[in-house]
Amino acid sequence: MAIIGQLFVNGLIAGSIYALVASGFSLIYATNRFMHFAHGATVAIGGYLLFALFNLLGLPFFLAALGTIVLTALFGLGMNRLIYIPLQRRKGSNIVLLIASLALLTLFNNVIMIAFGPGVKSIGWLETKTGMSIGGAIITPLQIWIVAISVVLMILLHLFMKKTKLGRDMRAVADNKELASIAGINPIKISDYSFMIGSAIAGIAGILIGLEQNLFPTMSTMLIIKGFTGAVVGGITSVPGAVVGSYVVGVVENIGILWLPSGYKDAISFGLLFAFLLWKPTGIFGLNKGVKDA
Amino acid sequence: MLENYVIHILILICIYSIYSVSYNLALGYTGLINLAHISFIGIGAYTSALLLRSGMPFIVGFLFAGIVASFFGFFLVYSTRKLKGDYLALATLGFAFVTYSILLNWTQLTRGALGLPGIGKPAFLGLSIGSNLEMLVLVFVVAVVCIVIMSRIIKSGFGRLMEAVRDDEIGLLVLGKDTFAIKAKAMMISAFFAGIAGSLFASYISYIDPGTFYLSELILILTIVIVGGAASIRGSIVGTIVVLLIPEVLRLFALPTSILGPARLIVYALVLIGILLYRPRGMYGRVDLV
Amino acid sequence: MLVKNVSKHFGGVKALQGCSMEIEKGKITALIGPNGSGKSTLFNVISSLVPQDGGMVELSGENISGMAGFRVSKKGISRTFQEVRLFKHLTIRDHLQIAMGDDESLIKSFLVFDTVRDKRIKEMLAKVHLDKPLGTFVTDLSYGQRKLLDLAIAIAKPHTLLMLDEPVAGVNPTLRKVIRDVLLDLHAQGETILIIEHDMNFVMDLAQEVYVLDAGKVIAKGKPKAIQKNKKVLDAYLGG
Repeated sequence: MAIIGQLFVNGLIAGSIYALVASGFSLIYATNRFMHFAHGATVAIGGYLLFALFNLLGLPFFLAALGTIVLTALFGLGMNRLIYIPLQRRKGSNIVLLIASLALLTLFNNVIMIAFGPGVKSIGWLETKTGMSIGGAIITPLQIWIVAISVVLMILLHLFMKKTKLGRDMRAVADNKELASIAGINPIKISDYSFMIGSAIAGIAGILIGLEQNLFPTMSTMLIIKGFTGAVVGGITSVPGAVVGSYVVGVVENIGILWLPSGYKDAISFGLLFAFLLWKPTGIFGLNKGVKDA
Repeated sequence: MLENYVIHILILICIYSIYSVSYNLALGYTGLINLAHISFIGIGAYTSALLLRSGMPFIVGFLFAGIVASFFGFFLVYSTRKLKGDYLALATLGFAFVTYSILLNWTQLTRGALGLPGIGKPAFLGLSIGSNLEMLVLVFVVAVVCIVIMSRIIKSGFGRLMEAVRDDEIGLLVLGKDTFAIKAKAMMISAFFAGIAGSLFASYISYIDPGTFYLSELILILTIVIVGGAASIRGSIVGTIVVLLIPEVLRLFALPTSILGPARLIVYALVLIGILLYRPRGMYGRVDLV
Repeated sequence: MLVKNVSKHFGGVKALQGCSMEIEKGKITALIGPNGSGKSTLFNVISSLVPQDGGMVELSGENISGMAGFRVSKKGISRTFQEVRLFKHLTIRDHLQIAMGDDESLIKSFLVFDTVRDKRIKEMLAKVHLDKPLGTFVTDLSYGQRKLLDLAIAIAKPHTLLMLDEPVAGVNPTLRKVIRDVLLDLHAQGETILIIEHDMNFVMDLAQEVYVLDAGKVIAKGKPKAIQKNKKVLDAYLGG
């Protein structure tokens, strides 16, 4: 029984990371209506920027973290302005945007590879502390922080979307772009904000991953796949759905180890992804509105 | 040394031409959105490699590579038959991820990340391929035969039906044609040739692992097909030559090999993005990318 | 063809409610009704592009409800759409070879070159008075010429029933007359035709039987003259 408890806790930790990735991805999808796969690169860039600022340049940690978040937000904005918006102006179809995002993902994977080398990097700001035992499951303080930060951020994001004007404008665009633009909302401004906010959250994810695990150049691919799976499972047009879906993915893939060898964790997620895409593409909470059928 | 290098590039051009023409057959001519073409190549490569390593003659590995890949082509079309647009693209991408994951994790069969080394060179009728030059001849002949066959299919009445499916599936449906069967056959043909090319690749490189057939490779063949242009055989062949040669200029800079690999991929990614931005129909494209 | 009590709803919208029609062989039947009355939906149900929620459709005594779309077409139904459905990267010749030929068999198609001779294609085009080189691409045709090609491929495909959805929508008066003549020719050759048309005038001196649809229900049927005087029909068109 204790094993299930531990696996469940592991699932929550993994789910928290995926939720951070998925929420940004889902926010960008809901607002812009295309799949920004390069979002995974944003997470990786976040982790490596922290490494560069903290480990290489020697800045104080919180300053480096802040810098990372800001720069990551700008990184996301840059991709939107330099690539996606020009493509959309040329009437690029959604598939074209998806292919472009895959190209961007590959591009930055390899830029990181050249800039930082293929080896693994660690941030090493916190010493590895032994985990404490909560109800039979072992969890380290950092891991608790990860879950906590993730939950707090998701609540803040939810409040932002519901209560602030910008948040409401974004939801209006996500709901019906034409109508929103007639109502006077500037879709490009909203698009920019969705990228900045989504990417900033991805940057935070990168920081947490850098602290908890290691950084390696191709980390973006697996992260975006997991995050994307969470978004699909929960409902890709719904940000809260993506969060819930991510926790589901995290827990399922960890509990799945009871039956399959642990190397199959990823296969479980992919299987979940494929199954949902085939049979319930709208996810648990998603509505069909706004997903482009060719 | 230069001669070996040139032969190496020519071999790759021949093999990748088969990849790209088969990809274009499905994507450009039939309008089948498919981001899992590398999976067909990989499945073909692994099928052939496994058969060869267990002592089967090359011709068996070669043919079964195509047959098994073609079976997965059918599975892909069948399982995604109700999806369109975005979701179809994603489901095919998901298929590619699942295939990668299975190749990586089914270690009893595939040795997972360790890969399969020592894949035998082709041999038949008592002749075996010794040098790279002989490999080039073989690969060139196979490429020509494959492309001629695919070209014939494309230009035939069936090819016309494929293009009709792309242009207006419902319009074709009401003319009494079974559009699902047409799509399935097109995908199976596409997968078959991708599979046998994968088999050639495995025997040439003699070592494969799951990562060989993953995201980077997908970007490469996408770049080739888009640069060459959709629905153009000439485009796919020329595109293969152009795209494979572009990064070779990097060699002029005498970069260390650890940088050469990633640099090549950066070049591909930039070319792909550039083409999408500035010349989405590519060099000889007759159709806008779906 | 018999349409028996067909119903169809999309979510909360009842597009068709208990529609029944009898399309007699050799006659021209018209299906008219105000915008949104469900005419095209009925066509889509008959040609199996959309599944029905109730009722059934029989063609020459055979139940075709629920058959796959292409099978219904193979059984003998040829149809056109309101929006012209052609293959934008193909030529006139390609279109007719698809309609008249049998290229679905991969092996046969691989070994044999064009199964349909140009001569037969030209004959078919002559039937609709479309005089353009066979190698012309669809994109080089005017709207009217595309409408004619659309009609040509529907006729060229082997069929026992021709269903035309607004064959003269958006077409200039000269072309209207051409299409009208084509339909009369087909009728004289014994063809069975079902037309959806908005324009009552076009329909009235062409059809032998008229069905009127309003809000998904058949509200009237009969000969054109009787329909024109039918109060219910006039009400449906004028409002309310």
